[in-house]
Amino acid sequence: MPAPPKFLTDRLAARRSLRSRVSALEEAVQENRQLNLRIAELTDAMMELVVPLSERDESKVQAVVDRYRESLGGPR
Amino acid sequence: MVATMQDVRVDDDGIRFSSHDDVVVDVTFDGRRVWSFWLQRDTAGRGGDREIAWPQPLRRFLDGATRLALVDHVADAELYAAEVALGGGTGRIAVQDRKGRPLGLDKSNRLSRLFESRDSDQVAPLMDAIDTVLHALDKAGIEGFVAYGTLLGAYRDGRLIGHDSDADLGYVSRHSHPVDVMLESFALQRTLVEMGFVVTRYSGIAVKVHVPEADGSIRGLDVFGGFMRDGMLYLMGEVGAPFEESWIFPRGTVELEGRTFAAPAHPDRLLAAMYGEGWRVPDPAYEFTTPDSTRLRLNGWFRGIRVGQGRGMGTRELTPDEPSGFVQWVHGRCDASVGTVVDVGCGYGTDVVWLGRQGRSAWGMDAHYKSYVRMRRLAEAEDLPVRFRWVNLTEQRSVLDAAADLSRLPGPRVLTARHVLDTLDRAGRDNVLRVARVLARGGGAFFCQVQVTPDRNPESHGQVSPLDLDDLLQVIAAHGGDAAHVETLNETDAAGAANIARLMVTWK
Repeated sequence: MPAPPKFLTDRLAARRSLRSRVSALEEAVQENRQLNLRIAELTDAMMELVVPLSERDESKVQAVVDRYRESLGGPR
Repeated sequence: MVATMQDVRVDDDGIRFSSHDDVVVDVTFDGRRVWSFWLQRDTAGRGGDREIAWPQPLRRFLDGATRLALVDHVADAELYAAEVALGGGTGRIAVQDRKGRPLGLDKSNRLSRLFESRDSDQVAPLMDAIDTVLHALDKAGIEGFVAYGTLLGAYRDGRLIGHDSDADLGYVSRHSHPVDVMLESFALQRTLVEMGFVVTRYSGIAVKVHVPEADGSIRGLDVFGGFMRDGMLYLMGEVGAPFEESWIFPRGTVELEGRTFAAPAHPDRLLAAMYGEGWRVPDPAYEFTTPDSTRLRLNGWFRGIRVGQGRGMGTRELTPDEPSGFVQWVHGRCDASVGTVVDVGCGYGTDVVWLGRQGRSAWGMDAHYKSYVRMRRLAEAEDLPVRFRWVNLTEQRSVLDAAADLSRLPGPRVLTARHVLDTLDRAGRDNVLRVARVLARGGGAFFCQVQVTPDRNPESHGQVSPLDLDDLLQVIAAHGGDAAHVETLNETDAAGAANIARLMVTWK
């Protein structure tokens, strides 16, 4: 059987490469989306805890930490 | 037009029949609905010859006689009825809970107490709970409304849907960025907890609010968050559709079981986004056909904080009495100078209690608080130096808090994790190693046991996915850990290759 013409093998190779690039892109997009949750969690912890920490009031800090801890969990 | 079924045969395996129609059919036992399925969509077979197996949750009840009927749900027409005998039992088949209350399968094939079997005086507490939570949301500045099946039943008939088993609430945030919507949800959770509710988080924007009822029982109401972005509405856990803000705001009301509740401005628009244009036709076997694009967005933005958390733990029968070989191995390698042992993902807590009995000061932590309540009681009764706490290893806020909290405990600290790394995803493994690094510094160590081949211990109930040992060692090294000791062993019935690895990791 004669070998397929070059333009055809090139086109097939390009299609394969496009497929793998699209699936790599999809993975990357999904990874980026997952950053939203991480940023939200870190921002929340910073806003709720760091400000009272900077006020250096130990009793206030403990109350804030307790309140934060209480709000995270389910029943205990 | 009413569908037809021919040659119906019912046995212990399931139901066989011939039909070319595809309608949703209720299976009733002595007149009470227990299950529904679509004649073609949910069955296997060739052409018109179809068969469907009994759903697993129903099988344990199928031991006796019943008048079984197959009823076209929409047309309310009996397509088949016969007295049948299943299993070897002689009594009537009764699909019910321990208190004798009727059960049926909901649309997700979960065995539940469905609304159709509840009297109006049993529905009133649910209406009260909806009212309570909607008011609490309002007080917290969140414009909630009844959603999903609850909205569907209310808008279509003013009643709860008979084949439904729970009530759902939702809201659409005024924010448009996923991060802001999650921050709002975290703040909402804090406010609800301050109001006295117990709240469980399911994702970045969905929570369950536990409402105590007059008889002392606890009812959980799901609150699904949503937001508008670029002309699309995204609402946990199934909606991603082109939408107008004016279809939500200003909110209107719907009648439900004689009460008035907040609803989106145009309930029909939201119902179409939730269930498609066919939402007006009842379907007790409805399956969401959420497009991949929506599922990926909701998963990517908001999900991933419940990976590896087992269901249905905490039962007495499953709680092991004996300590694991792993904890005995750890105990043997730790001298008396160790100040605290922390069992990360302690499950039932049997190992933690055993450590306490050896005179060690020990903490157990797990995401499933019900799993360790029994052992916590035991530890308190025996006055052991043992404590338990809740942690979600896939939620960064929880991991940060646990690390800060436990870093006050006396050192050197030893952490143990038995089949935890191989139950979590990569983000969860990173979190465990971060906690380990913080707590084991200064002469402590992190001990873990993971499965490294697909061969399982026959006694294991866990949902582990085997890890590649070399990959794990690389991740540990990336977290600055030194795998000071690695050994493999066989924990299966089969002779041959080792399926388990035990590691001791230290940090400088």
